[in-house]
Amino acid sequence: MNPAPIKHKFITPGVIILIVIALNGLVFLGLRFIYGLGAVTNLDNYTPWGLWIGVDVAAGVALAAGGFTSAALGHVIHREHYKAIVRPALLTAMLGYTFVAFAVFVDIGRFYYIWHPLIMWNGNSALFEVGICVMIYVSVLYIEFLPIVTERFIGKVKFPNLFKFINKPVDRLLRFLDKSLSKTMFIFIIAGVVLSTLHQSSLGTLMVIAGHKMHPLWQTPILPLLFLLSAVAVGFPMIIFESLLASFSFKMKPEIKILSGLGKMAAPLIGVYLAAKIGDLFIRESFKYIVIFDVPSWMFITEIAIMTRAFFMFLSKKTVNSPSRLFIASSLVIAGVLLNRINNFIIAYNPFNNPAMYYPSIGEISVTFGCIALLVIAYRAIVMIFPVISHEQT
Amino acid sequence: MKKGLFILIPLLLMGYLIVITLIPRPKPQMVDAGNKILYNQNLESNNRDQESKNQNVSSDHIKQSLNCKSCHACEYPTKEDPCLIECPRQDLALVFNTTKEGPEVVVIDEMSENYSGVVFSHKLHTHMSEMSAGCTDCHHYNTTGPVLKCSKCHENTRSREDVSVPDLKAAYHRQCMKCHVQWSRENGCNTQCHSRKSPDSDVKLQQLIKEVTNKTHPLRPEPTKMRWETNYEKGKIVTFFHDEHVQLFKLKCADCHSNDNCTKCHESKTSKDFGKTIQIKKSEEEHHKSCSSCHNINSCQKCHKESEMMPFNHGRSTGWNLKAYHSKLACTKCHGNTVPIKKLDNNCTSCHKNFTLGQFDHKITGLVLSEGHAEAECNSCHVNNNFAKNPECSSCHDKDKSYPADLPGKRGK
Amino acid sequence: MKNLNRRNFLKTAAAAGLAISALDSKTVKGADKTLSEDRIGMLIDTANCVGCRHCEWACRVAHNLPTNDLDTYSNTEVFKEYRRPDSHSLTVINEFENEKNPLLPIHVKTQCMHCERPACVSACIVGAFTKHPDGTVTWDTDKCIGCRYCMVACQFQIPTFDYDKAIDPQIRKCDLCFDRRKSGKVPACVDICPNEAIIYGKRSDLLKIAKDRIKRKPDVYIKHIYGEYEVGGTSVLYIAGKNFTELKMPPLGTNPAPGISESIQHGVFAYFVPPVTLYALLGLIMWITKRGKVDELKENNDIQEDEKGENS
Repeated sequence: MNPAPIKHKFITPGVIILIVIALNGLVFLGLRFIYGLGAVTNLDNYTPWGLWIGVDVAAGVALAAGGFTSAALGHVIHREHYKAIVRPALLTAMLGYTFVAFAVFVDIGRFYYIWHPLIMWNGNSALFEVGICVMIYVSVLYIEFLPIVTERFIGKVKFPNLFKFINKPVDRLLRFLDKSLSKTMFIFIIAGVVLSTLHQSSLGTLMVIAGHKMHPLWQTPILPLLFLLSAVAVGFPMIIFESLLASFSFKMKPEIKILSGLGKMAAPLIGVYLAAKIGDLFIRESFKYIVIFDVPSWMFITEIAIMTRAFFMFLSKKTVNSPSRLFIASSLVIAGVLLNRINNFIIAYNPFNNPAMYYPSIGEISVTFGCIALLVIAYRAIVMIFPVISHEQT
Repeated sequence: MKKGLFILIPLLLMGYLIVITLIPRPKPQMVDAGNKILYNQNLESNNRDQESKNQNVSSDHIKQSLNCKSCHACEYPTKEDPCLIECPRQDLALVFNTTKEGPEVVVIDEMSENYSGVVFSHKLHTHMSEMSAGCTDCHHYNTTGPVLKCSKCHENTRSREDVSVPDLKAAYHRQCMKCHVQWSRENGCNTQCHSRKSPDSDVKLQQLIKEVTNKTHPLRPEPTKMRWETNYEKGKIVTFFHDEHVQLFKLKCADCHSNDNCTKCHESKTSKDFGKTIQIKKSEEEHHKSCSSCHNINSCQKCHKESEMMPFNHGRSTGWNLKAYHSKLACTKCHGNTVPIKKLDNNCTSCHKNFTLGQFDHKITGLVLSEGHAEAECNSCHVNNNFAKNPECSSCHDKDKSYPADLPGKRGK
Repeated sequence: MKNLNRRNFLKTAAAAGLAISALDSKTVKGADKTLSEDRIGMLIDTANCVGCRHCEWACRVAHNLPTNDLDTYSNTEVFKEYRRPDSHSLTVINEFENEKNPLLPIHVKTQCMHCERPACVSACIVGAFTKHPDGTVTWDTDKCIGCRYCMVACQFQIPTFDYDKAIDPQIRKCDLCFDRRKSGKVPACVDICPNEAIIYGKRSDLLKIAKDRIKRKPDVYIKHIYGEYEVGGTSVLYIAGKNFTELKMPPLGTNPAPGISESIQHGVFAYFVPPVTLYALLGLIMWITKRGKVDELKENNDIQEDEKGENS
């Protein structure tokens, strides 16, 4: 049972819907680049960061955590039988981070200066660290993905007539890459894990500097730890989620043995995260803000409730062995972490004197959904071209 | 070789000592790189200014009846470091002129950049300031002698070393703004004081000067008695004798009205009723403060009565009737300057220290003592030195003599 | 063995995280050293401000921002709603009720506070903000990428952004007229203020003046110099007759905003020791488990065994 390209019809009604959503997003994206951020978003001087940073970037990075958790599991501590999920997770991470980088490109006012952090450094800035780490990590992810490309194309490079002459050099290049990468891959794998740990936590540090502007339910000096723990916690559920989704979509048998193994590991990880979060709540005595029952307190309650529910679901054997229950539990974790990122970046951020609470505009939502749709389409296309998903050959 | 070193080292040391004592050390520069440009410019001119100021003021110093501490913060002020405290606005002002002494119209156009000059009717404002703190309201921190120019203390530049004193522009504006903003409810510059510079500015200015000249503030009717109906149950009526406070107690307007301004009496200028005087709504605390700032009040009934109070009468109110001599005196002559007024005992000698034999010329009472009586101790007639009571003759004479039937001398002036 | 290793990994990760969070927030080497003793500032005496809004006009003129004629600024209608600096105005005046004297409302000027320990300088991803030795905080248009993290970080909600421009949008905030001061002038708002309600001078002098005024007029001012200790002190100071929260100034503690985040950052990247250690540790684990795996692979172990290990 080795990874191989999936043979399936590419265009299905679902894909058409996705394409429509993506096109809709692209329209608003175009407007953003012609008329500026104000034309498309609800951002203002009170709320400089909205949906694009909260969901596309922060939640995107968190949900792409499957990449480094699975790499740690499969490569660093050599759980060989989990290797089947390493490639799909890697692909998700690669696409996820590409999507994150793209979202950053869209969100920053001077997108054409996106390369500036490479040469203009500010070591005090958490954002600088996130930026640099994400830049390097994206490159690492692409390098990690290269063997899949070489595997697919070595000996099969066939450019049509005009470009025939480059077939040989490309093939030689691929072979060279394959050879050198197979020896050095461990460097990149470990680097990937280290970089992820760093920027997953620094993403939390980002909001620490906002100080009093962050709601006390979320504002804590251990935000980086909470971000890291939640990213680690969401890693395996995310892999379970997408694996099951791919199975449903391509009508394959889910790899339940591997998935239930991952499911078992999810519970303690979620537990650690919840323990840290609730412990922090009591140490800072911020629990008093929960009983106010305003919007932030309800959001916090929902966030905790979802994660707790998921935690108990993953604890039970019944869940771990049933694909549908696993799917629900994983979705809950993903929803919980997604909500946590939205809460941290959007709900909790409320500057003094803010006259109106921020809510995302249609443009912002369209672009976000458009990007997600594109991501799914790209995933679908890549797994059909490259040997990513392991499945029973039929 | 060694010998040479022994000589050389002390020589070098001595040389070094001489050199460092001879070379004048540069004064430490107080200026920071970021502000160098700014502060340096004023440093010199400022020092010069300070010196000239000191020299001028010092001659006035002799005439001052001031405590050193009201101007200087430290024990031994020097010319270099006078350690002046910030202007104590009220304490130092010593100009008391009548309204007629000042100029009639002043045109302030020293700094006009965007705006033409300000026509200031000094006369009108002196009339108004009579109801307020008087000259010192504006001419604060003015020592005895001539009225100082504002620019004497207020520099005509924003970038200066000592920013604790406002510059000239701010000094002028603050004088006007406080009242005028309240009065007109406007802070635009075009409306009352300035107009923007234009080719016909000068003509307009002359016109304004003409308009303002000979303008006076109408005389304010002075109330004699004021009566308030309060909602205090045990005594609804409070009476205030304004005339007494002015005439009898010799209070100056500013003693009570120092914080008043136009809006105390007038509706703001934007209102239609601006010409009329108005009733001010004050809080209970403020109402009481206008009396309690002088009167030591410890019971409500002292002011709140069932009926209207009688005017002040020394005999009725205090139980000590003022007769011919005392009624002519100012209150302070006996009671001193302390507020609230102190109660005195009715013992004459507690004020009149000279009521002793040999010191006192009895003639001024209208009675020239006969030779025999003139040599008697005071208390031989005036028992216990109580001069308020009629004298008694019984200590020397038998019952055949009595005052005033038998006089101890002659009536005469 | 292998389980132990995985747990080890988790433990290390958790320990690293804890170590980061447990860092002392005071260990940060801030910008304090570079600040001059004679650094400048502004003291805004709200009791002297009459709300003429001339500073708004002067500021726009000085920064080449579009503006109407000076006369239009006497319009007090704008006070009806609370305003903030935006990309067209670096400073604004707001009016607040004065209970002590309803005829003299309180006017409060809003602009960059020029913090002693500015959050924007710490936050900016490319270091486009600079804290100058003289206290000024300026922004460099050539570096900025428009990420708006400075706006997130600023405790006073001061930097603004051109949301309506797709190309070359600017972050704008008061720069204390950095260019004007180079030529020996005072900031434009200070220069035009009729009442000198904005006093420009050395911060140390301004503090003295503020304290003296509060002492001399206890009925006019409350005993609080806003900016003396707020977020570690600011170059712009305020005195007023009303609680600053009621004047819509954020109630802030004395800790500099970048304190905690910088200590976390410096903790994580202390001479790159923690990342490199983590890297080495992971490498070691990888090497050890790989060696174990070579034998185990031959035994063709499967998930079942792993489950046993998991449950034990």
